[in-house]
Amino acid sequence: MTGRLWPRGLRARLSLTFVLVTVLGAAAAAWSSAGSASTALVTSTQRRLTESIAGQIGATTPQLTYPPDQAALDRLRAAVGANTLVTYRDLRSADGAETGLVTEALHTAVRTRDRLVTQRVTASGRPWLLIGTPIVITGPDGARTPSGIEVYAVRDLTGVERQVDDLAWSAAGTAALALPPAVLLALLAARSVLRPVRELRDTARRLAAGDLAARSPPQGADELAELTVTVNEMAESLQTSMAAMRRMQADARRFAADVSHELRTPLSTLTAVMEVLATAAAEMEADARESAQMAITETHRLVRLVEDLMEVSRFDAGTARLRLEEVEVGNAVRDCLRARGWLDQVDLAAPEEIPLRLDPRRLDVIVANLVGNALRHGGPPVRVSVSATREQVRIEVGDGGPGLPEHVLPHVFERFYKADAARVRTPGSGLGLAIALENARLHGGDLTAGNASGGGARFVLRLPRKREDG
Amino acid sequence: MRRIWPVVAVLVLGSCGVRPSGVTDAGRAPTGVAHGVTLYFVDAHERLRPQFRRTYRLGTVPEAVSLLLFGVGDSDLHTEIASVAGPRILATTGPGLIQLRVPLALREVTPLGIDQIVCTALGVHVQSGGSRRTRVQVRFTLSTHESEKRRTCPLIR
Amino acid sequence: MAAILLIEDDPLVRRGLQLALRRHGHDVRTAGTGEDGLRELRSATPDLVVLDLMLPGIDGVEVCRRIRAAGEVPVIILTARGDDFDVVGGLEAGADDYVVKPARPTVLDARIRAVLRRSTGTSDGVRVHRDLRIDTTALTVSLRGDLVTLTPTELRLLLTLSRAPGRVFTRQRLLEEVWEQDYLGDSRLVDNCVQRLRAKIETDPAAPEYVQTVRGFGYRFGPV
Repeated sequence: MTGRLWPRGLRARLSLTFVLVTVLGAAAAAWSSAGSASTALVTSTQRRLTESIAGQIGATTPQLTYPPDQAALDRLRAAVGANTLVTYRDLRSADGAETGLVTEALHTAVRTRDRLVTQRVTASGRPWLLIGTPIVITGPDGARTPSGIEVYAVRDLTGVERQVDDLAWSAAGTAALALPPAVLLALLAARSVLRPVRELRDTARRLAAGDLAARSPPQGADELAELTVTVNEMAESLQTSMAAMRRMQADARRFAADVSHELRTPLSTLTAVMEVLATAAAEMEADARESAQMAITETHRLVRLVEDLMEVSRFDAGTARLRLEEVEVGNAVRDCLRARGWLDQVDLAAPEEIPLRLDPRRLDVIVANLVGNALRHGGPPVRVSVSATREQVRIEVGDGGPGLPEHVLPHVFERFYKADAARVRTPGSGLGLAIALENARLHGGDLTAGNASGGGARFVLRLPRKREDG
Repeated sequence: MRRIWPVVAVLVLGSCGVRPSGVTDAGRAPTGVAHGVTLYFVDAHERLRPQFRRTYRLGTVPEAVSLLLFGVGDSDLHTEIASVAGPRILATTGPGLIQLRVPLALREVTPLGIDQIVCTALGVHVQSGGSRRTRVQVRFTLSTHESEKRRTCPLIR
Repeated sequence: MAAILLIEDDPLVRRGLQLALRRHGHDVRTAGTGEDGLRELRSATPDLVVLDLMLPGIDGVEVCRRIRAAGEVPVIILTARGDDFDVVGGLEAGADDYVVKPARPTVLDARIRAVLRRSTGTSDGVRVHRDLRIDTTALTVSLRGDLVTLTPTELRLLLTLSRAPGRVFTRQRLLEEVWEQDYLGDSRLVDNCVQRLRAKIETDPAAPEYVQTVRGFGYRFGPV
């Protein structure tokens, strides 16, 4: 069966099969009953015809001269009816019109069998019954010997055939009657079978779309119900493991947030007393002074690290919020550099005035981080350029150093990623670029890292000018 | 689904009109022709003997019994049935039974004479295609219980 | 230099800040809870209160509200960085400024001095605008003859704005002048203080007559 002849849809296939089977069943039943009825009809007609001929012969023979002369044969023929031929040795009765139909097989059977025989033939489109019989001589003791008289009769079966045809047509009609209810039943059956399939499909779709709570209620106890149960179990275990994973993730984030939070109180004390220590350090002996200095430096590092950790926790928890203000981007960048005393180390190119609604503190964080990195790890000159198109504002920070190695590029925004394993101590927390990227994204913008064609690392911050929620 | 189509073909072709057939047996051949009729008489030793009469046809049971009553003719056999003039015989053939109404009283016939009548009638019945187990009732003119007897021919078994 | 009341629950942080602020020349009294702090406040009014918002018992915001209800003592709150909920709550409760923990004593000292400086200004006499009378020498404000009590920050904001009536001050400018903060100062300090000021001197704070909003820029002093 080619795909063209055989529909692909499950519903159509199911319906068509059902209709086909039903109609074929009805047709088979109708045809077979019509067949047996017509067989019975033909048989009974044949029997009636043969019995009538045998009876007519039997009624005539006792008065028939034997051995018969031509007149006797004609008399017997007349008694049996039209379309009859009676022969005795070389004698033949007057021919009936259709006796030419008598076959050689029938002749032979009549001559050899001593029995009454029949044969159906079709001639010129009409069915005929050929009846042939010898007449036997029975002795008083019952011994039967051939008499040499043979009777052949031809009978028209057209009437029977018409009846048989009527039966066939009524059988076809019966089968055709089964068609509409079969179609109806097929549609109903297809619907009842396909409904769970459709539900299952919808459930699978929802699962694929991320709705892990999607289930379909299993109905009945068939294969489809088993499939439904299996899908449900699959969804269940998926949901369970996803929930466990999310819980673990949330736990880990909360832990980081909690740790940072808890660290803050002792750090507050340390921060408070470090200045006291610093002023006192001037009068200490060298070792103690160096120790105090280290304690102060490391405390400040620790404060910075904890603050960055808390910032990252806020991004992870989704609680980071923008505080938008209208600022002039060039000024904001300049202020950032000036506040850190970097203005004389950095070339700032901000030729035009670009007003933009953004969170100034977060922009400061990004710029300070990028420029700080460029000053620490890259080489001079460090250049910052601010430009704008209709859609976005672009802040580019480049340096004159060796640039970022290819294998480092994909990882620069990862947390605690250290490009050089040997460089253990850096003033940063290792979270700076990650936080810068998160801040850019919070603005609906992006931050990318690359290398300038002339060498040197180049970071590009893009901020959209029109924000839906700005 | 491929398996359906042969079934369909069989069904469609299977019951279409009256189909030709081979030569089929349809029963015993009819009988009844004969060179003549067989009558039964009695020989010198009081035994039933058949006598063939060439009549060129078998004829009916009454005709045969009439011929029997007509007499033995020129022969060393004799009849044990009294001679009656203008015999009129009625025969009724039912299932398994031939009823013969003869123009004779019981005293005009010996038991052997009754056998002559029974055998002659049964012989014609058998020759015209009847069963050999058919019984014969011979009804006499005067009422007697012999009329009710269902008889068989000792020579035709 | 100034009498400061430090309300902070953690004893070590409390002690550390006390030590550090003393080094900057302040006289620091301390309290471990809000209740103790309010009691201290009643016994002797300090020049300024440094208040940790995370307190057991009545929380810092509530303490701040009660301090403000009791008088015009300036309040600087200590808050976790970026805990906007705390900052907003504290500012609405009447805090003058906030410092993010862990607070560096130098930064805290600078803020304390800035807040205290607000009660002093350039004295050029008396400014009268309709019903409002501002005495820049006595540092008093009266509305229709009635004296209005203002916190030092509110007073300094009013003095700054009324110095040039009609001139628009950006929030940034006000942060620098009144709060002495750098370019990253929190503009909510300005907005909250403006609201408190309006509540005290405006007939209808929803339709202000003296402290007017210039949308997208900042504030100016009216009537023009």
